[in-house]
Amino acid sequence: MGPLEVALILFGAFGTLVILRVPVAFALGLACIPVFFIDDKLTPFLLLNEMMKSYNSFLLLAIPFFMLAANLMNSAGITEKLINLARVLVGWLPGGLGHVSVLVSMLFAGISGSSTAEAAGVGGVLIPAMKKQGYDTEFAVSLVACAAVMGVIIPPSILMVVWGGVISVSIGGLFLAGVLPGVLMALSFMVVVFIYAKRRNYPVYPRPKRGELLSAVGHAILPILTPGIIVGGIVGGFFTPTEASVVAVLYALLLGTMVYRRLGLSELRASMYDSGRFAAISLFCIGTASAFGWLLAYFHIPKLFVDVVSGWGGGITSVGFITALCFLVIGCFIDAIPAIIIVGTILSPLAENVGMHPIHFAIIGVISIAYGLVTPPYGLCLMIACTIGEIKIKDAIKDTLVLFIPMLLVLVFVIMVPDALLWLPRLLMPKLVQ
Amino acid sequence: MRTFINWLYRCHQWLLTFLIAMLIIPVTMQILARFTNIIPNYIWTEEMSRFCLIWIIMIGASVAVRDGTHFDVDVLPPPKTKAGLALSRIVVHISIFLVALIFLAFGWSFTLFGYDQNSELTGLNMAFIHVAWPFAGFTWVMFLLEKFYDDIQLMKKGSENSNGTA
Repeated sequence: MGPLEVALILFGAFGTLVILRVPVAFALGLACIPVFFIDDKLTPFLLLNEMMKSYNSFLLLAIPFFMLAANLMNSAGITEKLINLARVLVGWLPGGLGHVSVLVSMLFAGISGSSTAEAAGVGGVLIPAMKKQGYDTEFAVSLVACAAVMGVIIPPSILMVVWGGVISVSIGGLFLAGVLPGVLMALSFMVVVFIYAKRRNYPVYPRPKRGELLSAVGHAILPILTPGIIVGGIVGGFFTPTEASVVAVLYALLLGTMVYRRLGLSELRASMYDSGRFAAISLFCIGTASAFGWLLAYFHIPKLFVDVVSGWGGGITSVGFITALCFLVIGCFIDAIPAIIIVGTILSPLAENVGMHPIHFAIIGVISIAYGLVTPPYGLCLMIACTIGEIKIKDAIKDTLVLFIPMLLVLVFVIMVPDALLWLPRLLMPKLVQ
Repeated sequence: MRTFINWLYRCHQWLLTFLIAMLIIPVTMQILARFTNIIPNYIWTEEMSRFCLIWIIMIGASVAVRDGTHFDVDVLPPPKTKAGLALSRIVVHISIFLVALIFLAFGWSFTLFGYDQNSELTGLNMAFIHVAWPFAGFTWVMFLLEKFYDDIQLMKKGSENSNGTA
C-alpha cells in the first residue's frame, strides 16, 4: 500500500472519530490500528512502544511544572496584584479595563506559559469586572480569550517547549523570538480596545497618583520578576528548560507561602491535582500523536507532501504562509500539542528544503496554532471565557473576528520579516542562533 | 460495584497529587547539586523524574476517562433527545474501550518486554514502568463499565419519554 492510501486511512479514520466526538487522543490512537495490520512488520505493540518513547523525556517534565507554577500563582492571589499594577499603568486610557485586561494577560504570559490557565485566571476576575463597568459581555469575553493567546507566545511557553523537544530547536532561542510578536499583539489589541472605547463610550479610571503607582509596582514586583528568572536562567545557560520550570514552581511556592501567605495545604493540594490532571491530559495526547506521526514517517507521507508542494515552486515566504494556513485550519479542530507533533513533523522537511530558519518556522507554527485557541469549534480559550461570561460561543464570534484581524496582521509580519523576529535571539544567543 | 469504582477513582486522584509533589523533589535536588554543595550530584534524579512523569500521565489519563475531560471537538450539533445523547456517548465509550482492550492485550507482552531490561542509571526493572499501560487499560475498563451502565439507563429513559409523548 502506498503513502497516499495510508494517509487517507489515517486521516480519514481520525477525522471520522473526531466528528463522532471521540476524544482527540483516543481518535489518534485508534486511527493507527488498521494501519498496523496492513504491513507484516507492524503490530499494535508499536503504539505502546512509541507512546513510552515519547513520554520518556526529561524536557516534557516542564509542562506539568509550568502549569503548576501558573496555578500556584493564581491561588496565591498574584493575578489580583498584576491587575492592580495594570490598572495604574494603563487604566486611565480610554477603555481602561480593556487595556488592563491586555496588559495583565501580557504580564501573566510571562509567568505562566499556558493560555488556558491564563484565560481562566485573568478571565475569572476581569470578565465580571468589565461587565459590571458596562462593557458588552461579548467584547469582554472575546478580548480576554484573544489576549490569553499571548500566554503561549510570550515566554515561557509550553507549546515552544513541545516544539523544541519534538523538532529539536533551541528552546531559549524560541522563547526570545516569541517576545516581539507577543508585544506587537498586545499593542494591536490596545489599539482595538481604544477604538471600541471611543465608539461605545467605555469608562476610564482616573490617573493614578504617584504613591498609588509606587505601591502597585511594589506589590507586583516579585511576581513580574518570574519571566526574567526563567528566560534569563535558560538563555544564560544556568538551567535547562525543565529546571527553569521547577525554579518557577519553587518561586511561586515561596511567594505564596512565605511572602503573600495565601497558600495553605488545601490550596497546594488542589493546585497540584489540577496541574497533574491537566498536564496528563495534554501529555497523553502527545503519546498517541507520536505513534500517529511515527506511522506517517514510516510510510514516507511527509516526503510525499514535500514533493507535491515543492512542485508548486516558491520560497521562504510562501512556505511560511502554507505553514500558517495548515496550522490555522487544523487548530480549529484539534489541540495544539498533537497538531505540533503531526503537522509540524510533516511540514518541517518542507521548511528545511527552502532554507527557512528553524526558529522562524517554529514561531510561525506556534503563533498559528495558538490562534486555534480562539477559533471554534475547538477554541479552548474562547470556550473558557464564554463559560465565565455566561454567553454562547456564537455570540462572541463577531468581536473575536474583529480582534482576529490584528492577530493575522502580526502573523503576516512574522512570516514576511524573519530578521526582526530573529534579532533578539541573535543578539542574546549568538553562538546558538546564527 | 460503584463503591469499588469510587474508591479506585479516589486512589487515582490521591496518587496523582502525590506523584506531582514527588516530581518536584528530584529536579530540585538536581539544581541544588549543581549550584551548591548541600547534596551530592546523584545520577538517579533525572531518570526517576522521567519515570514518575510516565505514571502521572497514565494515572491522569485514567482520571480524565472517569471525568470525561479528555479533549473532544463539537463538530456535530448536540443530540436533542436523551436516546440520541446516550447513543453518542456509547460511541465515544466504545472507542475508548477499544483502546483499553489494546492496552490490556498488548500490555502484557509490553510488560514482559520491559521485564527483560533494566534502566541505564538506576538499574530499575523496566517492567515497573511498562506495566502502566495494562494498568491503565484495566482502570479504563472498570470506569467504562460504569459509564456503559449509565448510558443504557439514559437510553431507556429516552425511549420511555419518547413512547410517552408519541
